[in-house]
Amino acid sequence: MPISFKRQTLQSLFAGLLLGSGLLGTTALTAQDKPVRIGVPTSVQLQVGRDTLTAVKMAVDEINKKGGVLGRKFEFVSADETENPETGISAIKKLTADEKVDLLIGGYTSGVTLAQLPHISAAKTIYLGVGAASPSITNKVKQDYDNYKYIFRVGPVNAAHQARGLVDFISHFVIGELGYKNIAIVGENAKWVQDLVPILSKGAKEVGADLRLTELFDTQTSDFSPLLAKVKTSGAQYMVVILSHASSDVFAKQWHDAQVPVPYGGIDVKSMDGDFFARIGGKSISEIAANFAVRAPITKKTVPFFDEFKKNSSNFPVYSAFFAYDAVFIYADAVKRAGSFDTEKVIKELEKTKHEGVAGEITFDEQHDVQTGPGKVNFMFVQWQEKGERAVIYPKELRTGKFIMPPWMKK
Amino acid sequence: MEILIYGAVTSAIYAMLAVGFTLIFGVARILNLAHGSFYALGAYSAYVLTTLAGLPLWLAALLSIAIVAVFGVLVEKILIRPLRSSQLGVLMISLATAFVVEQALFLIFGSEYRNVPAFIDTKFNLFGVDVAGQRLLTLAVATVAIGSLYAFIQFTRLGSAILAISQDPLAAKYMGIPSDRIFSLVMAISAGLAALAGVMAGPFLSVQPSMHLLPIVKAFAIVVVGGLGSIPGSIAAAFMLGYAETIVAYLVSGSWTEIVSVLSTLLMLVFRPAGLFGKRAAF
Amino acid sequence: MKAFKGLDTLSSFGGLVALLMLGVLPTLFTGTYLVGVLTVAAIYGIWAVSWDFMSGLTGRENFGHSLFIGVGAYAAGFLNVHFGVGPWWSLPASMLVSMLFAVVLGFPTLRLKGPYFALAMLSSAVIMQRLMLIFWEYTGGEEGIQDITPLVKNPLHYYWFVLAVLGSITLLLSWMARSRWGLILRAIRGDEATCLAAGLPITTYKIVSLVISAAFAGLGGALYAHYQLQVSPQLFAVVTSITIITMVYVGGMGTIFGPVGGALLLTVMTEGLRNFGEWRLMIYSLLLIFILFFLPNGIIAPIWQKMRNLGRPS
Repeated sequence: MPISFKRQTLQSLFAGLLLGSGLLGTTALTAQDKPVRIGVPTSVQLQVGRDTLTAVKMAVDEINKKGGVLGRKFEFVSADETENPETGISAIKKLTADEKVDLLIGGYTSGVTLAQLPHISAAKTIYLGVGAASPSITNKVKQDYDNYKYIFRVGPVNAAHQARGLVDFISHFVIGELGYKNIAIVGENAKWVQDLVPILSKGAKEVGADLRLTELFDTQTSDFSPLLAKVKTSGAQYMVVILSHASSDVFAKQWHDAQVPVPYGGIDVKSMDGDFFARIGGKSISEIAANFAVRAPITKKTVPFFDEFKKNSSNFPVYSAFFAYDAVFIYADAVKRAGSFDTEKVIKELEKTKHEGVAGEITFDEQHDVQTGPGKVNFMFVQWQEKGERAVIYPKELRTGKFIMPPWMKK
Repeated sequence: MEILIYGAVTSAIYAMLAVGFTLIFGVARILNLAHGSFYALGAYSAYVLTTLAGLPLWLAALLSIAIVAVFGVLVEKILIRPLRSSQLGVLMISLATAFVVEQALFLIFGSEYRNVPAFIDTKFNLFGVDVAGQRLLTLAVATVAIGSLYAFIQFTRLGSAILAISQDPLAAKYMGIPSDRIFSLVMAISAGLAALAGVMAGPFLSVQPSMHLLPIVKAFAIVVVGGLGSIPGSIAAAFMLGYAETIVAYLVSGSWTEIVSVLSTLLMLVFRPAGLFGKRAAF
Repeated sequence: MKAFKGLDTLSSFGGLVALLMLGVLPTLFTGTYLVGVLTVAAIYGIWAVSWDFMSGLTGRENFGHSLFIGVGAYAAGFLNVHFGVGPWWSLPASMLVSMLFAVVLGFPTLRLKGPYFALAMLSSAVIMQRLMLIFWEYTGGEEGIQDITPLVKNPLHYYWFVLAVLGSITLLLSWMARSRWGLILRAIRGDEATCLAAGLPITTYKIVSLVISAAFAGLGGALYAHYQLQVSPQLFAVVTSITIITMVYVGGMGTIFGPVGGALLLTVMTEGLRNFGEWRLMIYSLLLIFILFFLPNGIIAPIWQKMRNLGRPS
């Protein structure tokens, strides 16, 4: 049938032309119009991860509303790194090799981040850390600048600084104001705590604390009664905790139910959650937790950020959110200053960052680690009080309320 | 002194889990790795019924146990029974079920810990030891539950039927005992007991999607040490393990407790595979 | 050739073709992502094959395979990072270490049957994992050992190397499985008492097969260490053993080559499901139930059987 054959050929030719012109059309798009892709490796199943993503989204939306940077819009894609190094490494590979992102923002578990570092370096992609605290991460920058210059930590303040923040708290508040010299240190046996505790113990002893007990427990522990009993019998008057991955909820509940006569506080990441108090039936009352920011005008950006975040999510942001939000802008500003997206040039500009962030001013030291100090990112010690209200107790200049004792210890 | 009391509470929870596990194995030769999921589901239903449906705690608890028992029966009927010819098959599918439950819980409730309210919120002081009321209640409830179960099996007709099937399934069938129905009943009891443990322990232990894993590993270990299929064996082993863990935790450090239970399992397997009271060696 | 006496030509040919296809696959795509996924899949393949050789044939399911993997991997890590030994030495070293553990553990546990053996091995793996965490000052604890040097820098070349290792191991173990060795191991699964009566030294056979299984598991562990560039206690986890057993199950237990397909399928599935975000693991578990329920003999081996029979006159 010659006629239908001819028609078939014509049709296919036509289709081919259309397809061809379509393809030509797409390749005509220059590289400039391609959006900047941000890869977010984080623990999507945890609050820390979800808040990181929400914050990145907020920042990306704001930047795109203003037309993007150097004519390019931003977009982001996430990959679940869980809390397991193997999954973390494959998340980095997925983002760099498959999704071909231009930038990485994320992180939570120090052990996972450390495992990811060689793979990030091999991919020559800038990495802005927002969740992992181990100093080992940025030590790499100093030890091997050429290979690891891509790594920056926007937050949190590294474990060594955190230890010093805690020492200040112990020295000025626990010993200074409460008059408690006998301290117990209790923490989860994770990398960042292992890095932190020696500095903390030494510092605490130097400011006059009598360290009655130091114990690191398995992160999986769900029954703290032996531990709490030990703290009680050690004669400690205040329990300093260092918790992030561990079951803070259960810890607080068991402490409350057994009416342990020792108030506690310290670093408790889960206690940073806005709904921590409510979800354990108020049993964390009188616990003091370190926070990097609360809804108060620490900088001009703090309150607007908190309010905007609440609109995007059902809860108040945790610490990784502050830093993830700042990280996007820090990168955008560095690119603007460098006038290009070239990795080497951007790194040079990133090192010169001086950015007013949500929790304080962000600057980096020679190891690409966020600095702490007056005006910069610092710890605030916040206490859970009646009805789930939170009051800043320390530093004194930022105090918003009076310290309360656990209900069973009131005279 | 603390060791005595806390050890008893821990052992009681382990006993509730182990007895259910050994029961279904003794009767139906099913190594049900989803047993931990029953524990988890018990705690979560209590959470849902009290928090979201606003039911009073005692009602939520009873309903939770019933719901999980039904779930257990369904799992056995639909997923496990068809694969009964292969022990590994049963193992794997019960494991896969446990994963599905964990993921479902995670997707619905998120990874954060949930709060199951306690029956008794006050603190007691027993012999100079501060104990949370809920823990003592758990101990009491466990004793009653296991005691009644034992009595049920020893002294009722149905109980004898269960014993018969566990000793000789074929002969039991010849005697006209409906084995399939008995399997379902035993599964319901097993799941219900695990759910009870979840409801009682939920208030003071962690309630999060992966809470099924550790209990099942411990239950498995206890049951092997006590002798697969023997209820008194499981109870004895549960207490041994519970106390061993508590002693190690108090005197040495929390990190070593895991090893205690696992090591004792290993040693028992090497030296006396039948367990303490087991009737058959290495099955 | 004598070496191929037990293995018929069709199977070896089929295996060779599969291997070649796998080798060529990543070259069709740009970027290193697929190579990475396939390398991990191949390593899991090595682990699955080594498990199948012992447990698939003798019916003694080893729920602690992760122990041999872990000690091999940590041996590689220690040698490389703490003692500064070159990476290639890890390979024989890891095999030796795993074999040692197999001998020590095998003697007391291999007399146990069924779930008891499984539990004993599982307990051993859990204990090793715990010990790694307890002695964190020496082993790096949660974080493990970092900064291991890669064996071969180019990801594609390393992939081919791992594939070659996988191919050789599969070939070797397939041949052994079809030889007198395999026959005896299968006989042990069937009826130990008769074997004893026939005068066979079953204990030796059982231990040797465990040792062989462990050797290759350890080798896989070392290959893994030099790829991921770190080792962590996660390797010892029960999850690892169970993942491998699932792969063998899906591939077809006792067939040796089936598990390779199972490993590939499941690894690719885990990565491929990433697009489902939070639902990934749920879908994975549901698929698993589906496979376990409807395909109890696995997927890979039965498919291969069907393909073979196509060419046969009926």
